[in-house]
Amino acid sequence: MTVSVTNEKTPCGASSVLRGEKQDLSAGAAGDIPPRNTSAPVVRRPRPRGRKLWLFLLPSGIVSLFILVYPLAYALYLSLFSYYLDTGASHFVGLGNYVDLLGDTRFWSSLERTVLIVGSSVALEFGVGLAVAYGLYRLTFGVRTLNLLMFLPHIITPVVAALFLKWIFAPRWGLLSSLLIAAGIFPPDFLGDPIWARVVVVLADAWQFTPFIVLVLYAGLNTVDQSQIEAAQLDGAGGLQILFRIMLPSIRPLIVFVLAMRIMDAFRYFDTIYVLTSGGPGTATETITMYTYSLAFRLFQIGKASALGVLTLLIVLALTAILIFVFGRNKETS
Amino acid sequence: MMTRRLPRLSQMLLFLALCAFAAAMLTPVVWSLLTSIKQPIDAFAIPPKWIFTPTLDFHRAVWVDKGFAGFLFNSVVISVCTVCLSVSIGTMAAYGLSRMRGNAARGILIGLLTMRMFPHMLLVIPFFMLAKFLNLIDTYPAMVLALVAINQPFTIWLMHSFFADVPTEIDEAGAIDGANEWQTFYRLVLPIVRPGLWVTALFSLLLAYNEFLFALVLTGPHTKTLPVAIAEYGGEDLNYWSLSAAAAIGIMLPIVAFMMFLQRHLVRGLALGAVK
Repeated sequence: MTVSVTNEKTPCGASSVLRGEKQDLSAGAAGDIPPRNTSAPVVRRPRPRGRKLWLFLLPSGIVSLFILVYPLAYALYLSLFSYYLDTGASHFVGLGNYVDLLGDTRFWSSLERTVLIVGSSVALEFGVGLAVAYGLYRLTFGVRTLNLLMFLPHIITPVVAALFLKWIFAPRWGLLSSLLIAAGIFPPDFLGDPIWARVVVVLADAWQFTPFIVLVLYAGLNTVDQSQIEAAQLDGAGGLQILFRIMLPSIRPLIVFVLAMRIMDAFRYFDTIYVLTSGGPGTATETITMYTYSLAFRLFQIGKASALGVLTLLIVLALTAILIFVFGRNKETS
Repeated sequence: MMTRRLPRLSQMLLFLALCAFAAAMLTPVVWSLLTSIKQPIDAFAIPPKWIFTPTLDFHRAVWVDKGFAGFLFNSVVISVCTVCLSVSIGTMAAYGLSRMRGNAARGILIGLLTMRMFPHMLLVIPFFMLAKFLNLIDTYPAMVLALVAINQPFTIWLMHSFFADVPTEIDEAGAIDGANEWQTFYRLVLPIVRPGLWVTALFSLLLAYNEFLFALVLTGPHTKTLPVAIAEYGGEDLNYWSLSAAAAIGIMLPIVAFMMFLQRHLVRGLALGAVK
């Protein structure tokens, strides 16, 4: 009995559900199997499966109720209070926190910064990632080793990854700064200058997530129907034409899925910024996540921070929904 | 497959270009590795030195004298407990979902996927408050439960993808032979997905080992995990650079081993949100 656990078949099972494809959740239901001996009157009744299956969900369900559903409900509840952790002062304000936040310039600028940082890094990751994935696809040797080597930045502990980068960009003693000094160029303060700090944060995100994009796109490119490519070649299409006209459209659901994942992640992007700049200098790299952290654990405004968490969730849900509806659906209509 | 062939020269150039890219990606890692085995006088030389007499003093110092061995112990206890709890209940749930018919299972799976969207900030605040009320800050259970909470959706999805590959005829054969639901699951189906179980366990381990935000908020002096410890040590003080570089490299080593082991399964695991 061998079971295929390779990744070719479903590079990501999640994407097919996202696109609303019918997942084979109940593969081979008992009733579909034709009786082996049709001549004999078969009295074997198909076993009504699914009778006690919910019991298997019970342990996880109960645990999740206590540690996932309850805390989330509690966060929602907290968001309706003005609650200062240090003094313990707490009173009900209804939607006051939300109204506050919507009129708060720091909220809007952190949102703007998040969008800017996410947009630049996803564009960079996608551009570089596609080029590298296509390169790997065309390469006939050493692919596995290269893939593995360039994958390392994605898998190391994010805090450690951020420190590695800090030692590159640190003023004066960092690798980049000292190389520039040795070359006679006075280096900018990469982490202390508002513009450079943002560039470094974008590069840090790209450093960690380009390998992910490469891996997923490479797996996707390999699933493209070879006969289609050959047909296009016979018609005289060049390599890039084939890439953009045939291969990319056919892995479009995968691309939408990856983009959706990156958007969700981006609103959780915390570790790296915390270590690299801690949102600074000033608030130059303060994303919405960093702002929530500051509200809760530096300013101790638990209620307002919870409200910001809820708002973040709503933003992520909206963005993902838009992405899936705009890019995920076109395929069926056109 | 002639279609994918490039001329030999182009192949070489492509290979070199990709090698250059990989080298660029690995520069920060290599640089830190070098820093961790350099004497300070070499580490802070301008221009940077690539040839020097290596030393392992800092590696020994950080793990033995600076207490990182203790943080490693905390990390291991928390990660292993998380995996045991999360994978055992998650596997059962995944099996149930993979064998259920109708829309209920699909609804639950999509619900779990939505959980992946939840900003961790939204979850860490109530967890912190609850842990505070229950006096669980700086204890292992608080951290383990938090990690199980963020691990569950991922574990269930990944295990579900393995169970979905097992034909239900196996279950039916078991039922005909008189096995009850539990025996079918435990004796028949689970052994088949054992490789998947290992993959899931290792990914969950990695997720727990790498976690920072919850550890930052929920742990204290007694339960501090490696990521929190190294972040506090930071790169602030020049005197500590070599030490923290040594710690950072040490934290990374198990992950390198892990990657070698799991390379075939990276796509499946990562697409479902392992690591981050």
